[in-house]
Amino acid sequence: MNRPVPDPDIALEAHQLCKAYGRGRRRFVAVREVSLTIRAGQVLAFLGPNGAGKTTTIKMIGGLIRPDRGWVKLAGLDPHRQPMALRQVGAVLEGNRNLYWRLTPPENLEYFGALRQVPRRLARQRGQVLLEQFGLLEKQRTPVQKLSRGMQQKLAIAVALVHQPKLLLLDEPTLGLDVEASETVKALVRDIAASGCAILLTTHQLAVAEALSDRVAIIRQGQIVAEQPTQALIQQFSDSAYQIRFAGLLSDGQRDAIAALGATVTENRIRYAGSPTSLYTLLSLLKPLPLLEVSQHRADLTDVFLQLVRQPSPPEPSTPTPKPDD
Amino acid sequence: MINLLMGEFKRTWIQFLRYPAEVIGGVIIITSVFYGLFISAQYMAGPAIAFGDRLDAIVVGYVLWTLVIFIVNDVATNLQLEAQTGTLEQVFLSPFGASRVFLARAIASLGLRLTLILTILLIIMGITGSRIQFPLALVLPLVTLLLAAYGLAFVMGACALIFKRVQQVLGIFQFALLFLLAAPTEDWRGPARAFANGLPMIPSTGLLRDLMARGAGLDWGQMGVAIANGLLYFALGMVVFGWAERQAKRRGTLGGY
Repeated sequence: MNRPVPDPDIALEAHQLCKAYGRGRRRFVAVREVSLTIRAGQVLAFLGPNGAGKTTTIKMIGGLIRPDRGWVKLAGLDPHRQPMALRQVGAVLEGNRNLYWRLTPPENLEYFGALRQVPRRLARQRGQVLLEQFGLLEKQRTPVQKLSRGMQQKLAIAVALVHQPKLLLLDEPTLGLDVEASETVKALVRDIAASGCAILLTTHQLAVAEALSDRVAIIRQGQIVAEQPTQALIQQFSDSAYQIRFAGLLSDGQRDAIAALGATVTENRIRYAGSPTSLYTLLSLLKPLPLLEVSQHRADLTDVFLQLVRQPSPPEPSTPTPKPDD
Repeated sequence: MINLLMGEFKRTWIQFLRYPAEVIGGVIIITSVFYGLFISAQYMAGPAIAFGDRLDAIVVGYVLWTLVIFIVNDVATNLQLEAQTGTLEQVFLSPFGASRVFLARAIASLGLRLTLILTILLIIMGITGSRIQFPLALVLPLVTLLLAAYGLAFVMGACALIFKRVQQVLGIFQFALLFLLAAPTEDWRGPARAFANGLPMIPSTGLLRDLMARGAGLDWGQMGVAIANGLLYFALGMVVFGWAERQAKRRGTLGGY
């Protein structure tokens, strides 16, 4: 019998993952039929409100929570059945230190390398390269507990890469970081993806997700409600309407003429969803008032996210109860 | 696996050398407690009484009890500490699997534990005048004792994975261990002896007392019982720990404490 050959370009394939907690009336379905695919070098932003099932999904992918149904493949291997699959994944989990605070950065890199089956000498060599890349060479002799939050986070990412995984799970990597540290981490994430590592990123900072991701998956109440390339999703939620901002007051006659074209006036702003050619007719109606701005509406990821998560809920098979740690 | 073991050795020793106060404090407390017990017993018995090889048997029992408490608490305490400090899930992300990682940690910390216990033993011998012997043959029952103790350590680790906070259970369990290690069960006969042979570590502690306190030779029949006992409890510990790991992953409670 011929087995299907795994596509070497696919770092993660999660197929119809389902997970419920509790029993009877306290049963809570955390994740329903979630499927995700990430290719080498891609960044997938996995977004959703608190309690939507992001952390449960990430932990099922990392082999830390066993799914009730569905399967995960990391570079073709199942982390729940084949422990070697875990060599393909690195993780920085939110709410965890992810590091030994009494050890220095090189000691952490060497230890976690050994834990991930990298020979210690090789782990030391890779550790030096990562410390240089992440700008931590000067802190080689400082125990982790004395590093700043930003440095600790950079080191946690470096440690997650010491075994050169094909998939990096980043759960809220910029949470609690100042602007400068956050920008550094964003630049590092871009570099890591450029080196061919696939990244699954969760964050509540939607500007970070928009800046970094190639694709976006939005989860709500355990179900994926959208999964598309980031720019295509934003485009889909952007309409062709024009925003016109002007100074001064409109006469009643101007208002009536503008309304007749189908535009809406709110104080000093006009929203017009007509064709580009009739836009000039509208602009001529505004004469002689000064025009301050004419722009076409473009949604951002925040608009998209809010619209998707505020949609009416799908029918529930069971009564959900919030799970505190998800 | 050797690579992991070396990594664990290095981590254990670095943490000890960098923060020795807590370990050295432990040595002082354990030694002081025994000295307090010794003074009390001497007061009750009167100054003219010589304890002889009974004192040596008690010293051996007490020191073994201390060693076994270190070991039995090792996995559970480690698990709880790692969960609180937020490194436990990184350990479970290892392709070695949690059982092998914690076994490597146990072996790595054993060197440190044995060094500390030897220090405690030498101090106690110095202050009580006890003259314990150290024949080479004691290595065999010591190994079987360690196997059974690590088996219990993994059972306690399994409890920590399932029930999360097991501090109270560990505290109470120390008294059960005191009975297992300090009671002179090697003097029991008949069904009581057969029962004692089935309890964890008892065949090994009896042999160690015979060798170290009474100057007796190694009883090979009893050594066979000690080997079976050690292997049985070690295997039991690994099986129970593996089951608890699967349960924690099924319930999604691995990292939560």
